[in-house]
Amino acid sequence: MKKNSTMVYHSIYLEKKRLEIRMLKSVGHNFYTLFLSLFDQLVLGNCVLLVNLRRMRLEKCWFCSSTVYPGHGIQFVRNDAKIFRFCRSKCHKNFKMKRNPRKVKWTKAYRRLHGKDMTQDSTFEFERKRNRPERYDRNLAENTLKAIKKIDKIRSDRASDHIKNRLKTSKVQRQKEARKQLELGIHLVKAPLALAQDSSLCLPKIKVNVSQAQTEENQPMED
Amino acid sequence: MRTVLKVVDNSGAKKVMCIQALKGKKGARLGDTIIASVKEAMPNGKVKKGKVVYGVVVRAAMQRGRCDGSEVKFDDNAVVLVDKQGQPIGTRVFGPVPHELRQKKHVKILTLAEHIA
Repeated sequence: MKKNSTMVYHSIYLEKKRLEIRMLKSVGHNFYTLFLSLFDQLVLGNCVLLVNLRRMRLEKCWFCSSTVYPGHGIQFVRNDAKIFRFCRSKCHKNFKMKRNPRKVKWTKAYRRLHGKDMTQDSTFEFERKRNRPERYDRNLAENTLKAIKKIDKIRSDRASDHIKNRLKTSKVQRQKEARKQLELGIHLVKAPLALAQDSSLCLPKIKVNVSQAQTEENQPMED
Repeated sequence: MRTVLKVVDNSGAKKVMCIQALKGKKGARLGDTIIASVKEAMPNGKVKKGKVVYGVVVRAAMQRGRCDGSEVKFDDNAVVLVDKQGQPIGTRVFGPVPHELRQKKHVKILTLAEHIA
């Protein structure tokens, strides 16, 4: 991850402003809003600026925190002007049942709250909601697309590491339990006679005599 | 028809009952204009009980599709009273209004609104 020192990058640095990055994810309507802090150590490549062609945004579902793509989901506006976006009817129905997402096991809110998923990471800094549209620049758009890919990969790697670390302790416990089960149930796999002879907790060793290898000369076939 | 809507401006009326939807075979939706009869009104307001008025539906509990494919719905059914030309009778609008009104040319209501959803 080299810090690229293009003119644009420098000029942005000099401006000392927070930038919003929206860009085309692929052919189509999808836009991705990024935030690059100038003081962030994890800046990748060029800073990218892009103006939004249309008012399209990838929102977050209020209940499960997954992304709501344009054309999906329902938006509920409460009378106090708070907007709730839902990715699908499952989340919407749960909301109508007045369930608290922090108590519903499969939501991101629950997982983050209970430490199941990664909560704090610098890769999250790139993805923040900003309301300032930026001027379009093709190079920057291209670079941001590449950056998105990279950031995504890094973030998912770190998240899976977090989960792996969390599950490490259970492996030791599982092995302990397996050992205990073997002790108790050894009579199921090893005959008691064999156990008397060899009281270790392994299966009895069966000796098989391997025949002598055939000589190289061709053996005449039997008539 | 017969839907009782809340009036969210300061025209004096509190509740109106829809007696006709001006457009739409299946009834008025979010952003449409209706003809309504005032069922409940404040004692000293511009509009009195029993008067027949025009109104613009600014909040509907039934979801309405947006051009980007998503759907919006509100918490209640609310209306802003307007005159025949579409200008609001009241001077204030309470609660959120949808930006579908812009397409329907109800710009005045949008400017009075406190929040545009």
